[in-house]
This record gives sequence, C-alpha cells and structure tokens, in this order.
Amino acid sequence: MHINPLERKWVYVSLGMVGLFVASIVLTAITEGVHPPSNVETVDSASLHLGDEFAEDKLGVRQQPDGSLRVTLVAARYGFYPNHIEIPADTPVTFRMASVDVLHAAHIPMTNMSTMVVPGYVSQITTTFPKPGDYPMLCNEYCGLGHDHMWSKVTVVAKEEWHGVAAAEQQGSKP
Amino acid sequence: MRTFIALAWLVLSGLSAVAAAEPSTRIAWTPQTLNLVKSGDPARGQTKAASCQGCHGAEPANAATPFPYLNGQLATYLYRQLQDYKAGGRPHPIMTGIAAALSDQDMADIAQWYSRQEPVQMPEGRGDVPRLVVDGDSKRLIAPCGICHGGHGQGEPVDTPRLSGQKASYLKETLLAYKSGQRHNDIYRRMRTMAERLSPDEIELLANYYGGLR
Repeated sequence: MHINPLERKWVYVSLGMVGLFVASIVLTAITEGVHPPSNVETVDSASLHLGDEFAEDKLGVRQQPDGSLRVTLVAARYGFYPNHIEIPADTPVTFRMASVDVLHAAHIPMTNMSTMVVPGYVSQITTTFPKPGDYPMLCNEYCGLGHDHMWSKVTVVAKEEWHGVAAAEQQGSKP
Repeated sequence: MRTFIALAWLVLSGLSAVAAAEPSTRIAWTPQTLNLVKSGDPARGQTKAASCQGCHGAEPANAATPFPYLNGQLATYLYRQLQDYKAGGRPHPIMTGIAAALSDQDMADIAQWYSRQEPVQMPEGRGDVPRLVVDGDSKRLIAPCGICHGGHGQGEPVDTPRLSGQKASYLKETLLAYKSGQRHNDIYRRMRTMAERLSPDEIELLANYYGGLR
C-alpha cells in the first residue's frame, strides 16, 4: 500500500501526541494517586426508600461511633436530598450516595468532591474541605430535562464554629 | 433465662421498629409492581369503578366538589395513591376505608380503566404560562413544574401525575397540603420541599394555570 510521505509524517506526529497524552495521564495517576472512586457496592435503586441505609429518616449528616462524619444523600430527578447540608471544614467527610432513578453525578466546584452516582450502586467518596463557605452541589451527568436545575447547597463552616450534628439527628442514626 | 432474653429482644426490637419513621410510601417501582399495574384489566376496572364515579366522574354535578377528576391520570399514580390510602401513607377520612376493601388486582384494574379515559376538558381558556412552570426558580431551588409533570401537564413516568384537566381547586388544596406537610406520601419529600418554598399567591397562580390547561 502506498502512503504519501507527508501523510506518513502526520500519522507519526498524531500517534506521538496520543502516546504523550496517555503517558501523562498514566504518570499523574500513579504519582498523584488520582483514581475514580472505586467503591463497588450494589443497592436496589427502585426500593431505596424501603431499604435501611437510604430510608428517608436516615439521610443527612451523621456522626459515626468512631467520631467520623458521614453524609448520606440520595440523588433523584431533579435534586439531591436533603437539599441543604452543613459540614465542618478541615474534617474528613465520607459521602455515601445512591440514585433513585437514572445516572447522576455529584460535583462540588473548587473542591475535589466529584463522583458518579450510578443506579444500582452506592457511590462512596471521602474528602476534606479546606475552605469554609457556601458551595453548590451539582449534577454533572446529563440526567434529563431538569438536569440544569439539579443542584443543592453545601455549607462548610469553620471547624471551631462547628457544633456537631444535632442531638436528635444523632439518636436516629443509632440502630 | 434464655427465654427471658429472647422475649426482651423481641420487645426491644418491636419498640425500635416503632421508633423508626414510616416510609412516605410502601410502594416501590420494582418490575413486579410495574407488571402488576400493567396487568390491570380496564373492562373489569370499569365495573369496579362504578361506585367511584359518583364522586370522581367527569360530570357537571361533580365540578364544584373537592374530589379530583381521575380521567386520563397515570395508572401508576392512581395505583400508588390507592395503596397509600390503604397502608396509611395518605390518610383520608373517606378514601382510607374504601381502599382498605380493594385488593392489589382491583387497584390495578381501576387504575387502568381511569388512565384510558379522555382527560376532562376545562372550560377556562389558557392564560399566560407562569415563569415557575418553564424556568422554575434556581435561587430557591425550585425546579420548573414542566420538566417532571410534562410540557402540557400530562404527567410523566414513572408516577408523576397529570395536572392538566384537573380542578384548580383540587390542585391548590394539594399544593397547600404538601406545603403544610399534611400530605406526605412523596418519596424523599420531593414535592414537599418544593411546595414549602412557594408563596400562597404562587400556589394560586399555578393551580389556576394547570386547572385551565387542556
């Protein structure tokens, strides 16, 4: 097969570019510890509200027995429930999320909280918010006509101003 | 001793079951439930719905009553409401007793028959489309009504109800009931969170809009 020498040159250049990009992704993934949240855990999305962990009165911010914070959220067309959560800065927070209907994602801009929420699976991600302030939590996987309305509020308060999860809420979290 | 521990455990687990809040609805749209609703027979439903028609029939005599029209409503929505009336998720002085006498198959039959009836054509003309219907209000986290209830208020799967062809008075009462929390069979408070942020004026506006929509 005859290939024009100029064409051959460009093929090599573009292949070289692809190789460079793949290499840089692989390299940063290894050196910086970048990886997608890889928690694989199944859940029945259709009957989420009848289950245990994602029952309606179990959602929100909860203090675990070991003192760590856990946020249980449900993504549904078109919102994250509960709509508003408050968490302390400089504290590891574990998000556990599930979708009621279709593929969603949760992303808090300017932080490294970002995960897909796949129906049938529980998404889990642990992160720390360094800066107090009001953040939006957005859906960044197209989920339907109301996708651009799917967002909720996350308030990060300074660690010293954090008074803990309300006592009543904590009681409910105990089995 | 062992019997005593077992008894104590039973009592305690019973107590904790009471302490945990009831889910807003016991219905989950699993394939089995969806198939059951689909299997409803409209012909049998028509016979069973004869007594429903007294209050819910689309007739001039019923226009001023507080009872909703059911014609053209989604079968899934009707089925879930009947189940919620029966199980107590949507307590009602009249409907709880009626639904208690219905079997799952009765509910599916009736739901299928009503869903196949022509929606009621309202006499009022269609006014301006309220902003909340098309754009919502992102500052208050209110999604536009139309994205879930359909561009013409026709309802959408799985069980988002039809709004057009409904009495404006019923829509208003329903929104107010969601707002006050008196009605609470919406999973994850999806409708309550939205209704809580609506002012009484906005509720009036939306009810009149959908009530006059063809």
